[in-house]
Amino acid sequence: MKRLVRAAIVGALTDALVDEGSWAGETHVQKGTFFLQCAAYVPLGYDFIMYKHGPFSFSLRDDLVSFRADGLITLRPQAPYGPRLAMTDQGRRLRDTFPKTITRYNEEIRRVARFLNSRGVGELERLGTALYLRDSHQEWTDKELLSEMRKLKPHVREQQAATALADVRSFLELDSSTAASRFSANSES
Amino acid sequence: MAIKHHHELRDPVHSFVTMTTYERAVVNSRPVQRLRHISQLALSSLVYPGATHRRFEHSLGVMHLAGEAFDVLTRRENVRDEVRDLIPQLNADEQLPYWRSVVRMAALCHDLGHLPFSHAAEHETLPDGYSHEKLTELVLLSPEMRDVFSDMVPSLSPELVAKLAIGAKKSHENFDVWEAILSEIITGDAFGVDRIDYLLRDSLHAGVAYGRFDHSRLIQTLRLLSPVQGPRDEDDNSEPTIGIEIGGLGSAEALLLARYFMFGQVYFHHVRVAYDLHLIDFLKSWLPNGMYATDVSTHLETTDNEVWVGIREAARNSSHPAHDPARRILERDHYKLLYARSPSHREIWSEPGRAVFGWAVDEYGPDAVRHQRPRKSGGSVDFPVVEMGGSISSSLAVSDVLSNLPPNASDLVFIRPDLRADADSKLKKDGKLREIFDAAAAREKLEEDVDVVNDMPTLDSNDMEGGGA
Repeated sequence: MKRLVRAAIVGALTDALVDEGSWAGETHVQKGTFFLQCAAYVPLGYDFIMYKHGPFSFSLRDDLVSFRADGLITLRPQAPYGPRLAMTDQGRRLRDTFPKTITRYNEEIRRVARFLNSRGVGELERLGTALYLRDSHQEWTDKELLSEMRKLKPHVREQQAATALADVRSFLELDSSTAASRFSANSES
Repeated sequence: MAIKHHHELRDPVHSFVTMTTYERAVVNSRPVQRLRHISQLALSSLVYPGATHRRFEHSLGVMHLAGEAFDVLTRRENVRDEVRDLIPQLNADEQLPYWRSVVRMAALCHDLGHLPFSHAAEHETLPDGYSHEKLTELVLLSPEMRDVFSDMVPSLSPELVAKLAIGAKKSHENFDVWEAILSEIITGDAFGVDRIDYLLRDSLHAGVAYGRFDHSRLIQTLRLLSPVQGPRDEDDNSEPTIGIEIGGLGSAEALLLARYFMFGQVYFHHVRVAYDLHLIDFLKSWLPNGMYATDVSTHLETTDNEVWVGIREAARNSSHPAHDPARRILERDHYKLLYARSPSHREIWSEPGRAVFGWAVDEYGPDAVRHQRPRKSGGSVDFPVVEMGGSISSSLAVSDVLSNLPPNASDLVFIRPDLRADADSKLKKDGKLREIFDAAAAREKLEEDVDVVNDMPTLDSNDMEGGGA
């Protein structure tokens, strides 16, 4: 996927997160992009590794710096917290250059934003880690996933980890059914 | 006479760099000594004649600073209770000297994989999947270095040294919070000691004042802190990262400003970038199949010296396929700057340099034009800051300087010297640039259909921004 198309999609996600009440800091955009790519199957092509605060992509971080340098997104400091990311007018003009792409992925973008909504960084870390584990070990049982999550993130309590794994499973099950119906509709047309 | 177990080297930046006898054995190893023959700033000395320093002294400086930063971050009185609860290694005092040794050796060895002339041609002359970080890993895991590390007391794991030396960005391995912090000491975006040393050292040797800042004060105020990104959950216990006490904020601002100016004035200097492009042209023609070998043995035998011999031979021989770029480097006859992006052009089209490059190639042919869009770097960096009362804030909430610092953005098009006047006059015609940018935007829109159909689940490597300092 081309860099400018990625910029349009990540920018649209940032706008959608704000609409859903998210703080939309870099961590929120990182986790939102991870869900978009890994759970909603939007082929952005970023590499994610398990890092501090869950899955993290350095190539996405590089892209965000590059999008800022190109005036497509900006940082809006909000004392005393970290800054929010926001799409600029120039970024929205770029997004409008790719109407078919945005239309194609809009439903996934909105669904991810609704799911993550106003959750804080700690909860995003748990959800992101749960998705990372479910995706990496699809054959594992819930018990095995829970054990691995506690090993990777010892500061996360067992109940918190179990809730995150369950929430992610619900998201994935819903996504697979909507994706199936969408693909079916596409093939009929 | 008593046997000496600590040794000193004089250093122009840090006065003295000290090391143990075991560490000195690593310094004396063949892969580390090779760095005496790898220039830190490639062909920058053609612009800044003093910039002839080598990766070797930089590596010693990074080792020195890594030890200092580790000591400050792990000192008992500097660690907050909530951080201590999350990182058990901070409670095992007897293990800290071991971790300190690992971090210092990772810092010393972090550049072992550099090719001749460091970054200048790495992107274009290594096969897919290889980078200097990958080569660093291969060297560290070679039998030669395994022997060196196993002779240390306590012996060190080459795998761990490699993981920390490469850092999370390039290793593709998962990092636990302790490993992430140790690696961040070396490669961190805000206060990595690699960056601290290269800014200080490069500015000293280049003879520019931009890179100087009070690094001693900065390091003394480093702390492990939970980051602040939006309101906290009630039970949020975020994993810590490296931040600072408020007393170090001025030094942190100075570091990030230094980076901004050094990139603009030294690393992305247009003449230096032009010579990077000629070096790439030379290497693509001179190396077997246009690529460096990636086996450890050949890598360790290849330095700037061998390449300089090749450049001189090709420059003397007009029938040599690499004659033109070699002659340009030796005779200082580089391609001239045709176009540099301005903020107003960026507002019309997001990739103006690429658009001008495409136009110039159509007009003058691909051999006469070069485009370089180095990786964007810097800008505002968000890190936690402990304020006077002990509360933690985002750096961007407490510093107007940091919140308004733009990323470095360079987008340059070069042309053969004899064509510049003609190309320049065409570009300066009323409305020409606008016409070029509008055409590029229209082309992008047309290509959307193809992209939507052909979405690939990986980043297009040709579309990633390469180069950089």
